[in-house]
Amino acid sequence: MIDKWRFLDTDGRDAFFNMGLDEAIVIAREKNLVPNTLRFFRWEPSAVSIGYFQSMEEEVDVAECDRRGVDYVRRRTGGGAVYHDRDGELTYSIIISEDHKLVSTDIQKTYQTLCSGLTVGLNILGIPAKFKIINDIVVDGKKISGNAQTRRKGVVHQHGTILIKVDPSLMFKLLKVPNEKIRDKLISSVEERVTSINSYLKKNVSLSEINKAFKTGFERAFNIKLDSGQLIDFEIDLAKKLKKEKYASKDWNFGR
Amino acid sequence: MKKAAYKVTGGKMIRVSLGESNGKIREIKITGDFFLHPEELINELEDMLVGKPLNVQDLTSSIKMLMENRDATLLGASTKDFVKCILIAGGRDD
Repeated sequence: MIDKWRFLDTDGRDAFFNMGLDEAIVIAREKNLVPNTLRFFRWEPSAVSIGYFQSMEEEVDVAECDRRGVDYVRRRTGGGAVYHDRDGELTYSIIISEDHKLVSTDIQKTYQTLCSGLTVGLNILGIPAKFKIINDIVVDGKKISGNAQTRRKGVVHQHGTILIKVDPSLMFKLLKVPNEKIRDKLISSVEERVTSINSYLKKNVSLSEINKAFKTGFERAFNIKLDSGQLIDFEIDLAKKLKKEKYASKDWNFGR
Repeated sequence: MKKAAYKVTGGKMIRVSLGESNGKIREIKITGDFFLHPEELINELEDMLVGKPLNVQDLTSSIKMLMENRDATLLGASTKDFVKCILIAGGRDD
């Protein structure tokens, strides 16, 4: 039997809807209303997301974000603060039942398995990337993808980023730094530690080529067939509700 | 509130804000880029720590017990690292 998953490309949406939609799909999957799903998306406008356990005040210069029209949102997953550039990143979410054969009770092991879709995708693009414990994918020792996972009521949700191009100086304008004196040092250290598809390949790869490579990467790595599908009304309605009541709220975003 | 940040070697960052009275935790907030499953347990963990004396033994055993009882998993940090950061914030790391 071919293992068929739903494939969604929801393109560029705002941070609050994006995070609301991830949770809405998780809840729809819990209720068995939708099949296992791989979603690709982007951030319009650009946004900063922080991990569940992080403090917005500690991590993000919200005044600078406001000035630049950059959204900021807290995720339902742990991990660190991420700048999601509108044109510089492809983001994905995997929402699957915990009893799927790709899922282990060992969370670290499951990261490695689920990240294999990304490493195969990067390989297709000509980038010899590898998984790095705990939750990163690296090439030549430089990070190209960060990932975060959570589980709830029998559903595993992993989302993460694939960097297409990267601008460390902009990133550090939006994120808090311990003091101004080390800002330049942090920027050059990120330049040494982080890379992207375009900077590794030294050319501009089109978004459609990137999408295609990762879709194929996930199909090969997971031995699945991705069928392009649609969101159901339940997911869209719940995503709007979660955006309004949770992800766009001060209570949630400044909750820690 | 006293503050500390502790970067776990090969792991993640832990930040602790701590209020103390008479050698015991009066209020505490633990933030960082670690992973704790289930996530909501962080609130219970902080509530549980209020009133606990600032020493390695008490903190370690109470955090361990909660983690085991709730079948929780930490990634990128350990109970030991949490205790270390709490003690640094409390000025008792030596």
